[in-house]
Amino acid sequence: MGLSAIRTRMRDPGLVAASSVDAATVQVLFEYVVCATIWLLVGTSIGLIASIKLHWPEFLPYSWLSFGRLRPVHTNTVLFGWSSLVLVGLCFYVVARTSRISLWSPGLARLALGLWNLALFGGLVTLLAGVSRGPQEYREWVWPLAAILAAAVLIDGYVMYRTVAARALHEVYVSNWYILGAFCYLPILYVTSYLPWYQGGLGNTVVQGYYMHNSMGMWFTQMALGISYYGIPRLLGRPVYSYALGVLGFWTNLLFYPMIGAHHFIFSPEAWWLQTTAILFSVGMMVPVWAGTGNLLLTFKGAAGAVSRSYALPFFVTGLIGYGLSSTQGTIEAFRSANIYWHFTNFTVGHSHAAMYGFIAFIAWGAVYGLLPRLTGREPNPLAVGVHFWLALVGVSTYVIAISVAGVLQGFAWVAGQSFIASVIAAEPMWLARTVGGLLMVSSHVVFAFNVWAMRPRRAEAPAVAPVAVRSPA
Amino acid sequence: MNFGGLHTSHRAIVAVAAIVFFVLTLVIAILPALREQAFPALAGIKPRGHEEERGRQVYMREGCGFCHTQFVRDLPMDRPYGRPSLPGDYALENPPMLGTQRTGPDLADVGSRQPSEAWHMIHLYDPRAVVPQSVMPGYRWFFVEKAQAGQDDLVVPVPAGRAPKGKVIVAGPDAIELVRYLLSLKQAKVSP
Repeated sequence: MGLSAIRTRMRDPGLVAASSVDAATVQVLFEYVVCATIWLLVGTSIGLIASIKLHWPEFLPYSWLSFGRLRPVHTNTVLFGWSSLVLVGLCFYVVARTSRISLWSPGLARLALGLWNLALFGGLVTLLAGVSRGPQEYREWVWPLAAILAAAVLIDGYVMYRTVAARALHEVYVSNWYILGAFCYLPILYVTSYLPWYQGGLGNTVVQGYYMHNSMGMWFTQMALGISYYGIPRLLGRPVYSYALGVLGFWTNLLFYPMIGAHHFIFSPEAWWLQTTAILFSVGMMVPVWAGTGNLLLTFKGAAGAVSRSYALPFFVTGLIGYGLSSTQGTIEAFRSANIYWHFTNFTVGHSHAAMYGFIAFIAWGAVYGLLPRLTGREPNPLAVGVHFWLALVGVSTYVIAISVAGVLQGFAWVAGQSFIASVIAAEPMWLARTVGGLLMVSSHVVFAFNVWAMRPRRAEAPAVAPVAVRSPA
Repeated sequence: MNFGGLHTSHRAIVAVAAIVFFVLTLVIAILPALREQAFPALAGIKPRGHEEERGRQVYMREGCGFCHTQFVRDLPMDRPYGRPSLPGDYALENPPMLGTQRTGPDLADVGSRQPSEAWHMIHLYDPRAVVPQSVMPGYRWFFVEKAQAGQDDLVVPVPAGRAPKGKVIVAGPDAIELVRYLLSLKQAKVSP
């Protein structure tokens, strides 16, 4: 089959811009995706430089680009810049569509985006300059920047809430449970992590475990699942496998996930009951994880043809598998017997990339490719989407395998009682392989950026498209 | 399907989710943190002096804690780094830097394990001058290259061939303070 045939086959013949979504909503949503994409390019390029430095320590020997400064810039930029902004933008779309109304206030959403970008840019510059609260992961920013970010999240959450409140339907669709939940949890989490009154001495470490863990599962996972519960049924044109399982996942995630932060400090001087509780609830997390993964994957049952004809659905399938696998991996890492080998090693870095990239980023890409053309009426080149998919998938697989092997080698060297430098020597070839994977990942993001541009909204003066009936999501 | 009326009330969903999450936050984070915060410092831990405290700021600024832990576990592989850490070790630390990655070795007791100021100076200037396989960044910007050392200058005895020819390497304030801090990292003695 020729390449042009693939292009024709994968394009949606009935695609026209959904006239039921007003131009202001489309524009602000697109701006979130564009800003997210820019932060993705910045954040992952910085990650790549940091990765190179581990096998080439004299690479770019400048204070502003030293490893210890790049590392928090990388994490904060990809977490709050890329992952948060792309998911928030997509959530706006989901709450508006599932409520069958326009976004409550695109203007406020745009104001919040400005605050996000202000905080992110401030965070980038201050951390590179060495203005930092120290190695407190994902809360390294000084408090004024954190306050700006918190304001942005609250404004976004308020816009989501008012949109759902004004919905044209009686019921609140399950996607919106997850999305409204995310905007309840993150402000509580973020404020708790910055208030000082209980963070003297080891109290700080208790809050650190709570914060760094929950910022993943109570924010990114919530939004990604909310988007998936809308996007996957929408793209497949069929209802979700089980609505009740979706609700079960919401409640069990809320009850189990917050309890497990201390599993980052197993064998620490923190209270033993706290560590054991964390391990127990890590096992409990298998309920929401496999309820969510299973439920959404079963929605595909009998629709394999739809996946092969869509350039968006393969991202969703990969993301769902990434969700199940990375979460299960996290549970196993929490066991004391496994923790002996893996804790402090690069294995944790592999896990976080499997989750934030293999799960979150792939879901976000699936939703961007699946939903954005429905808003703007413009599709990306399916071949370019395919290039993005394979570069990203091969890249992240190379990355995660290489860095996990590095982690295992480090752990074995330490358990065997070898000198510390033996673990560095053992891991170094894997660090080189990790850079190769990272290079593929960054390349895929460049392709993604082109694809986003191809999906840009038409200018206002373009002729209006005829209204079309839009199928309900469920 | 009816989930106790929640499925039709956005207010109820938000209220229940926020309250449950806040209660869990209290139980799993704030109350345990208050308890850990109440541990007194071990006898023998003194507050840091001015230079040592400045050095701790340099340590935070440069992100040393992303690769070095200050947290010894009660495991055989951690024996070389000191005794198992106790809550009282961290009582005066703000923030305590236990860490989650060991790309480099643990530093909880590095002041006892490696008490040589000269070693630390060379190591910060050029880690591979003392540990050939090290992947740590060199912190050249902590140091000044001079043709001739002044009277009060702390000259770093960099091995031949690791520094520009005809120059002496003099420790700047960041290097001096950071090394003071590293040498101050000594675990307090506890009776078994």
